[in-house]
Amino acid sequence: MSTPRPAPPRRKGPSALATVITVVVVGVHVLAWQATEFSPATLVQGWRGMADFFAQALPPDLSGEVLGPSVAAALVTLCIGLLGTTLSIPFALVLALLAARATTPGVWAYQAARSLLSFLRAVPDVVFALVFVTAVGLGPFAGVLALIFHNTGVMGKLWAEAMEEIDLGPRDALTVAGASKIQSAAHAVLPSVVPQFLGLLLYRFDVNVRSSLVLGLVGAGGIGFLINQSIRLFRFDEMVTHILVVLVLVIAVDQSSAYIRRRIAT
Amino acid sequence: MLEVAGLRKSYAGRVVLDDFDLVVRPGELVALLGANGCGKSTALRCVAGLETPDGGRVVMDGRPAMVFQQIHLVKRRSALDNVCAGALGRLPLRHSLAPVLFPRDLREEAMTCLDRVGLASRAGEPAGRLSGGQQQRVAIARALCQRARVVLADEPVSALDPSAADQVVALLADLAHAQHLAVGAVLHQPALARRYADRVVGMVSGRAVVDAPPADIADLDVLYATGTP
Repeated sequence: MSTPRPAPPRRKGPSALATVITVVVVGVHVLAWQATEFSPATLVQGWRGMADFFAQALPPDLSGEVLGPSVAAALVTLCIGLLGTTLSIPFALVLALLAARATTPGVWAYQAARSLLSFLRAVPDVVFALVFVTAVGLGPFAGVLALIFHNTGVMGKLWAEAMEEIDLGPRDALTVAGASKIQSAAHAVLPSVVPQFLGLLLYRFDVNVRSSLVLGLVGAGGIGFLINQSIRLFRFDEMVTHILVVLVLVIAVDQSSAYIRRRIAT
Repeated sequence: MLEVAGLRKSYAGRVVLDDFDLVVRPGELVALLGANGCGKSTALRCVAGLETPDGGRVVMDGRPAMVFQQIHLVKRRSALDNVCAGALGRLPLRHSLAPVLFPRDLREEAMTCLDRVGLASRAGEPAGRLSGGQQQRVAIARALCQRARVVLADEPVSALDPSAADQVVALLADLAHAQHLAVGAVLHQPALARRYADRVVGMVSGRAVVDAPPADIADLDVLYATGTP
């Protein structure tokens, strides 16, 4: 006598909810298509404009009087990204400690710090740059200030999330021993997240160097400023030179930051 | 001295501790035995202040130190820095914001504690590089550096191999006897309890049902049987 084999459960068709979600998602994309006046035909018709542009842009002007200032400005861009990242560390650290459950002194501080981080993240660095240009004038200083503000918001949030994920056991062990919040943060929480913090810091440096390029476009110094200038003077061959220099800078920063992050991770 | 009377705790209507009593005198190692879910760990966490009991009384000399199954050392920091961290409760912030600020006499005291658990020679190594048994002994040294009179151990040897487990429980018993500490340890190894504990408290569904020297209990395994003994 053999017992009957249990039948496998029947495969179900898509639920009503899945159908509704599919229809809504497709509908939203149709609306977005119309709202952005998306039109491949217009792009094809405009090929002559593109061809003119490339004819003027190529070959790039690689002469010394263009390349020299371009490299110098690229180094300024790198410096904006560097200072903007480094100087935001203390602010990001304090806000992250307040905004992580493992270290926050209370619900109020937690909510206040989270709100402030959200605000700093929500305001794009370009907007901060425009505000600071009115305060300190055109130039790289405004770019550094803009990055400090925006990066505090992003890095503070990323660091707080990193602290949310750790095992709270070592902190509890010190709490039982009578350690204060600050002491347990310094001796249990922060030492556990050093590799994650460094990785996120390098990632933000990488992003900030690229952002500082865009900040230059609105007058905050660096190579972005030169790109903006060459577009206004219709010197597209110079613009391509600047873009090539940017390409080298971005790849160099990207590769070295990825290399260091790999070394930390192992 | 640790005295717990009438401790009660429930989570979402489920009673975990039901009028739990426990006394641990200085100089004795008391083993808490019982099946998973009987409330042993919750009892220790309530005593340590990591959980708030719904009712009952906890009286003890000063702050307890706690040793955990998961050890909970900071693995990137040296064994010595981990032991020093036990003293944080009595250090002002200017001497405790970073390990470099720890006063010299604290480092010396921590070395004495590491020596007491037999690990003075490994003081400079990151805690994560030590074996499980060694890490647990560093955690015990941290408890000593805290100068606690009451030491609570929550399954301190459940993650260790038999010989390391034996060594750690022997150390806890030795500290209880030699330094007059009150040590309460949740154990899952009746054989270790029989060998080292001065008293065994058996728990079933949130209550202490047995409290006697191990020699007076014929069969410890009965505490792990399903249902009441």
